[in-house]
Amino acid sequence: MNFEALIEYISSTSLIWLILTIASFQLGIIVYEQFNKHTLLQPIIISSAIVMSALLITGFAYEEYYKHVKIIHFFLGPATVALALPLFNNLKHVKTLFIPIMITLIVGGVASVLIAVGLLWILDANIPTILSMTTKSITAPIAIITSEQIGAIPSLAVSFVIITGIIGALFGTSIFKIINVKHDISKGFALGLISHGIGTGRAVEISEKAAAFSALAMGLSGIFTAILLPIIISIL
Amino acid sequence: MLKGIITLLVFQFIGECIAILFGLLVPGPVIGMVLLLTFLILRKSSFESLDDAAAIHLRYLPLLFIPAAMGIITQADVISKELLAIVIALVLGTIIALAFSAKLMDYLIVKQEEKK
Repeated sequence: MNFEALIEYISSTSLIWLILTIASFQLGIIVYEQFNKHTLLQPIIISSAIVMSALLITGFAYEEYYKHVKIIHFFLGPATVALALPLFNNLKHVKTLFIPIMITLIVGGVASVLIAVGLLWILDANIPTILSMTTKSITAPIAIITSEQIGAIPSLAVSFVIITGIIGALFGTSIFKIINVKHDISKGFALGLISHGIGTGRAVEISEKAAAFSALAMGLSGIFTAILLPIIISIL
Repeated sequence: MLKGIITLLVFQFIGECIAILFGLLVPGPVIGMVLLLTFLILRKSSFESLDDAAAIHLRYLPLLFIPAAMGIITQADVISKELLAIVIALVLGTIIALAFSAKLMDYLIVKQEEKK
């Protein structure tokens, strides 16, 4: 038996890292469902913790890991294109509330970025961190490709996206109660606009209407941010 | 489902080509998404294999972030130095933006209803 050749193969194959990444995510889904889909136990949180531990324990370089699992990263492209479908399916709602939707989309979306960026500015954060914060409210695939475009750090950007999603899903319903938001449409739209997919997961629990407007807000804000942000930043 | 996957890839490809050809700053896949949306609006409906292909991509969407997200282990320095600023910006920023957007939407809906 040729153990040397086997060890050589195992240490160089991409399969190990692909299996680890996909299996961790599967485990993440199982745990998430076991715990009644608790917001803090998002599959991405559990799977990231596992993969991160594996990288830190083995001391395997991130750049090498990335090369091995690049094929997974590739699918962000078609997945972004696929976001057109939920948007198309919910587009009929735009007609009934065109003006409220457009105003909230633009004013709310801009305010969301300005508040977070402003807070970082006051607290003296560095430019790459501030840039990585600008995509925090849009859906992760668009945030990753847009952050690459504007010179932000994609890993920071995607982390900010996930945390923003979780905060919105955790506190959204309580906030809406405290400030007395009346319409489910407003709750859903705000959740999708600020907390993207994870917020939409919460909106589904509010009502069907909230879910539809949340998906709508998520799709529209993704497009608007990806178009406007690189232009604004290139002017500055 | 193959027809659906081909559709997604072709729209991404066209999007990337347009971005490069016109030197656009918008990411190619986002242009592809807008084109596919326009195509669906003109066509007035989707088709089954496209629905299936999109569903499978979106169902496991978070899995696709893991390779990029793991880069966070190279950012330990930035995070430890700016942790407080980041936490404040994320928590306060998200809560204020959520409250503001929901209230604004509520106000605009009431205003539109009054007009009618």
